[in-house]
Amino acid sequence: MTALGQNLIDALALGSLYALIALGITLVYTVMGMMNFAHGEFIMLAAYALFVFAGLPFGVAVACALLTGIAIALLAERVAFRPVRNADLSAQLVTSLAVAAILQNVVTATVAARPQSVETPAAISASTNIGAISVPNLEFVTLGLTTIVLGGLGWLLYRTRTGLAMRAAAENFEMARLLGVRADRLIATAFAISGALAAAVGVLIVLQTGQVSPTMGLTPVLVGFVAVVIGGFGRMFGAALGGLLLGALSSLLAVYLPEGLVPFRDAIVFTFPVLILIFRPHGLLGGEIGRARV
Amino acid sequence: MSGERFRTRQSAAASLLIPLLLIAITALIGANGTPSLQDTVTAILCNLIIVIGLQVYVGNSGVYSFGQLGFATAGAYAAAFLTLPAAFALLQTPSLPHFIVDAHLGALPSTLIAAAFSALLAVVVGLPLMRTSTLAIPISTFAFLIVVYDVVANWDRVTGGSSGLVNIPTTTSVESAALWAGAAVVLALAYKWSASGYRLQATREDEVAARSIGVGVMRERLIAFGLSGALCGIGGALAVHQSGVLNPATFYFGATVTTMTMLVVGGARSVFGAVIGAIAIATVNELLRSVENGASLFGAISIGEAPGLAAIGLGLILLATMIAMPSGLSGGREAGELTWLQRLGLSAPAPPPARGAAAAGEPAIDRPPGGALRAEGISLAFAGLRVLDDVDLGLERGEVLGLIGPNGAGKTTLVNVLSGFQAPDSGTVSLDGADLIGRSPARLAHDGLGRTFQTALPFPDLSGLENVAVGAMGMGAGRRRALATAADVLDRLDLLEQARLPAGALPAGSQRLLGIARALAIGPRYLLLDEPAAGLNEAECSQLVTFLRNVPNDFGCGILLIEHDMSIVMPLCSRVQVLDDGMTIRIGTPQEVQADPAVVESYLGSSFLAAVDA
Repeated sequence: MTALGQNLIDALALGSLYALIALGITLVYTVMGMMNFAHGEFIMLAAYALFVFAGLPFGVAVACALLTGIAIALLAERVAFRPVRNADLSAQLVTSLAVAAILQNVVTATVAARPQSVETPAAISASTNIGAISVPNLEFVTLGLTTIVLGGLGWLLYRTRTGLAMRAAAENFEMARLLGVRADRLIATAFAISGALAAAVGVLIVLQTGQVSPTMGLTPVLVGFVAVVIGGFGRMFGAALGGLLLGALSSLLAVYLPEGLVPFRDAIVFTFPVLILIFRPHGLLGGEIGRARV
Repeated sequence: MSGERFRTRQSAAASLLIPLLLIAITALIGANGTPSLQDTVTAILCNLIIVIGLQVYVGNSGVYSFGQLGFATAGAYAAAFLTLPAAFALLQTPSLPHFIVDAHLGALPSTLIAAAFSALLAVVVGLPLMRTSTLAIPISTFAFLIVVYDVVANWDRVTGGSSGLVNIPTTTSVESAALWAGAAVVLALAYKWSASGYRLQATREDEVAARSIGVGVMRERLIAFGLSGALCGIGGALAVHQSGVLNPATFYFGATVTTMTMLVVGGARSVFGAVIGAIAIATVNELLRSVENGASLFGAISIGEAPGLAAIGLGLILLATMIAMPSGLSGGREAGELTWLQRLGLSAPAPPPARGAAAAGEPAIDRPPGGALRAEGISLAFAGLRVLDDVDLGLERGEVLGLIGPNGAGKTTLVNVLSGFQAPDSGTVSLDGADLIGRSPARLAHDGLGRTFQTALPFPDLSGLENVAVGAMGMGAGRRRALATAADVLDRLDLLEQARLPAGALPAGSQRLLGIARALAIGPRYLLLDEPAAGLNEAECSQLVTFLRNVPNDFGCGILLIEHDMSIVMPLCSRVQVLDDGMTIRIGTPQEVQADPAVVESYLGSSFLAAVDA
């Protein structure tokens, strides 16, 4: 029973982390229709900010990471993504792949290709006992942060004018624009929030692994993409749900998979969405992409 | 109409020979160079085969796949297993089945088996993946790439794990790589110009329109995916027999970005683009790498080591291409389609197809009359809003039935239900007695249902002739018969003069007529026309009326005509059905309908009466 509770909390924590990634990706998708490959590199660069500013108090370093995530997202939007805003989905995807490759290799060239270790505060690595279950403090942070972000996004989308504009733009971008929604500002806002979410994820990953590497964004971005696909494109909470499922699955497989198969955990996790897509080609919560428009 | 062609022999020859020539030149430079240059050129040619493999799927379908390098990995490991000397195999892959270890095949059979294995894997993986949407495919193929990497890197006792395999026989020479690359070009062009290739290109141009002419989107994507898998497998097999070493990262994320860059920079839509992209980017890459390794540039400027520089350079090139030149260096054209080449006289644009194929009055399709398209009790609501309420409709073969009604009456929705694009909540649809509900649009096209759309939905990048020929190909016609059908239909619509231009470049009126020609090319028994005259000028309108009047006779089909312009409805239709608010309010002859006060009230309006009086 204790083991089960322990495993469930671990699963929930990893699922929350994945949900944060998926939310950052789906937010940009919602306003711009672009699946952003470079989101993983936003995560990676924010994590490197922790490495670069390791000498500063940890809170300050986290603030720097947050600013880095926002700044790089805004920069990428302005330089690379704005010119292809009206291109088709595939062209945008390839553009973001180019941005990802550039950012990844800039870090390789300026820092190093090999992983670097980052010191993290001891308080985070400690655990707290709840009854017989020992919960790492990091999992509390992850769960708390995800709850706050979900609540905050819900508030933003459904209680503010910006959110209304975002939802309108998601339905029909051109019409929203004609009705006076300022596209540039709206998209920039979405990228800024997405960058902040990426930074939060980057910090959480560093806290968990204690290291950074140029390719550390690859798995998260794939996780986020797959979560968005199984949640149904453009469905904000579908994506969060997809992330939660994927993380929980990954975490539980690590415990319950027969020993010989544990190394293949990622392979199994990424095969799982294909099974969902066979039965629901448009994701769990449906999505409009690919549906016939007649 | 024999002898009609999509392109001149000269243009086809140029499209084939110029890429082959480029490969031959590359190979010659390599063959006469230092051993290290030979290795480099061989590797470039192997890579080129993978890029052509990528082109076959991505270029023709317009859907990006980030998983094709997974098939290169599969081909490479298959080829390595089949050729690894026994002593090394025991050490590196102790759990590999004996029949594979003992195979000790030569270069050719191992490459062929690798190709077959990769193709099979592509079909098995593609079966579920091709069902998903255009945006889900890039992501799920990317997931496939990671799954392959993960399996290969962790299955230590079979694959040698993350440290990989060494001592693989190096049998690939510049010459053999060049021959395979040449074969890949031939195969890719043959596929692109086949009926199946055209069907897939139609789905790239407009998926909805492609389904309406009977193209099975998933099936065509799967065929290209399999062929692409085979080519990528060959590229991987040859590459591993060139380098002699293989590890899970050989064909992974980095190689995916590189090959994608090659394809996009060259221009994904053409095989020529794949070839020039692969050669150009490989050259740039080699230069960047020599800089990266600290070599001196132009003998003067010496730069220290800078790892990652080549990859940054490629990323920047890819980014700049996407922003400034999205159709790539080739503009998406094959070599024979380049205008400067045609100006040099090395290639020639085809003249318009010859007139007079269709003897006046001679039916294009001889079909016994009889049968009907019937809908009974069709009801449909969108989110509680009733769009169709218990609508019946009967369209006899050989008649023209008008469907009129105010905007929002449910006319287009009814056509969508009839053609399978929208499932009704209740009701039945039957075609010559067979129940149709639940059949896909593509299936219904095969059953004899043609349709057009409120907008023209042309295949913009294909020529007018190709647009219409694809209609016949969607029905399974081969190239020759499809061409003859297309030329005949275009002749009847007086569109032959424009038939060589890309459909996207035609004026709006011609695009609309092209849409009708495309629907007729499938040889429909029933043709559903959704506002065919919208956007036509007066002359085109009267030409359309004259043409449509002969269609029931010439093509042996019935027409359901949605139209607002009463001057078109009146002369063409024997009966008119009036929809209002999702309900049929009147069926009768045009005269009866026009005289009905309820119809006038709801639709025609007082201005119409005033116009009639005047």
